[in-house]
Amino acid sequence: MKPLIGLVAAAAVAGAACGAPSATRPQGDRVFRQQCFSCHALEPGESTPAGPTLHAVVGRPIAADQGFNYSPALRRLAARHGRWTPELLDRFLADPEAVAPGTQMGLLGLDDATVRRALIDWLGRPREPR
Amino acid sequence: MRPLPVAFALSAALLATPACGQTSQPDATTANVAQSSKGSAPGVQAGLPANVRVFDVPEGSRPHDVAPAPDGRVWYTGQRRGTLGILDPRTGAVREVPLGEGSAPHGVVQGPDGAAWITDSGLNAIVRYDPRTEEVKDWPLPAEFPDSNLNTPAFDGDGVLWFTGQAGVYGRFDPRTEEMRVWRDPEGRGPYGIAATPSGDVYYVSLAGSHLAHIDRETGAASIIEPPTPQQGARRVWADSRGNLWISEWAGGQLTRYTPATGEWKSWRPEGERPQVYAVYVDERDIVWVSDFAANAVLSFDPASERWTRYPGSGENSSVRQILGAPGWVYLPESGLDRIMVVRTAEDS
Repeated sequence: MKPLIGLVAAAAVAGAACGAPSATRPQGDRVFRQQCFSCHALEPGESTPAGPTLHAVVGRPIAADQGFNYSPALRRLAARHGRWTPELLDRFLADPEAVAPGTQMGLLGLDDATVRRALIDWLGRPREPR
Repeated sequence: MRPLPVAFALSAALLATPACGQTSQPDATTANVAQSSKGSAPGVQAGLPANVRVFDVPEGSRPHDVAPAPDGRVWYTGQRRGTLGILDPRTGAVREVPLGEGSAPHGVVQGPDGAAWITDSGLNAIVRYDPRTEEVKDWPLPAEFPDSNLNTPAFDGDGVLWFTGQAGVYGRFDPRTEEMRVWRDPEGRGPYGIAATPSGDVYYVSLAGSHLAHIDRETGAASIIEPPTPQQGARRVWADSRGNLWISEWAGGQLTRYTPATGEWKSWRPEGERPQVYAVYVDERDIVWVSDFAANAVLSFDPASERWTRYPGSGENSSVRQILGAPGWVYLPESGLDRIMVVRTAEDS
């Protein structure tokens, strides 16, 4: 059973107006709260022992936050790929262990491509510093 | 001691979703099983200690936590398959109990009632599986605590279930009254491992918050106890027979003991350049077990002699995220390999 099968429907907000989220479209902020929030902050400099901040992660150099002690798996990934492109993030979120064998991230993978896309789009938006 | 054959579980069937607060009878639980007489599953690393056996569980299970079942079997949470797995180490047979649509179980313990009690982050609910009736029932968290990322359960001395949610909560559930209460951690995200002492007191640790917390079981208030090592990433906690608390420090890379009676802290560091200590458990002999992701191994530690004994993973990136056992046995879920390692610790087990 895939744990995220029910997530899309659960995360969706009903809305028929143009521009409103569709009933089947997941919202990135909800996906973040469900899948990422426990270990990752969004503010710069807010890495914790649980995980690095995801501030401006889309396009950011891999394993480059000075406030987090990255695993060898992420350092190897950085040597191979350099930066977190949306495409690489999508592959990583789908199956972290396949993309970075030995990664210590607790997320086991997001099977639904629309869920991953919503999360990556949302993470890539500019944010006002708090 | 009977040799433990290696089993290869084959497939699993799924069950229709039980509604929140309702019960279900899992009529499609799955059995296994092909067995090998070789004593090792294909791909298992050679040279494992003689008192170790390894069992495969269904592919993609990602077994996260384990707990002894009342009848000698082993329960595990199949986090990615949304199941409670049941391994019989005597035969290698594996069954799966589907926990419902959207399930992603993290922790499991055996309750005083002999049932499996599960913290299910996918369902955001406490789930109970009764091995006698095979009934599955869940109790969702209150609506004001969505997406709590439920982590680990523990029973106190009065039979009340306490639990953590990594999104920044902890709570209690009384199986007798079915009353649930949830509180927010004083420092936010991070509550992870939780344990009760022999006297029944409850403590939890925060991974992101790098602290230990003692819960007042009357009021529910959590008192923060700061370890001496900053940013150590306290991942899990367990109590020994004297009530000392043993803490696995993920970022600190060490095993730390806290003595509540005196406030004393003491730490030990496994060998290696950069240990990453994830799980901790104290067995009935007060031997401490930890997993070290950097070493891809589980280590037992004798506090009397301060000696470590190494149990290598059965393959690369074994990722043992929790440890639990029964007298004479220690169970190691290798989440990265879809295997469960069983260690015999007593000759007559």
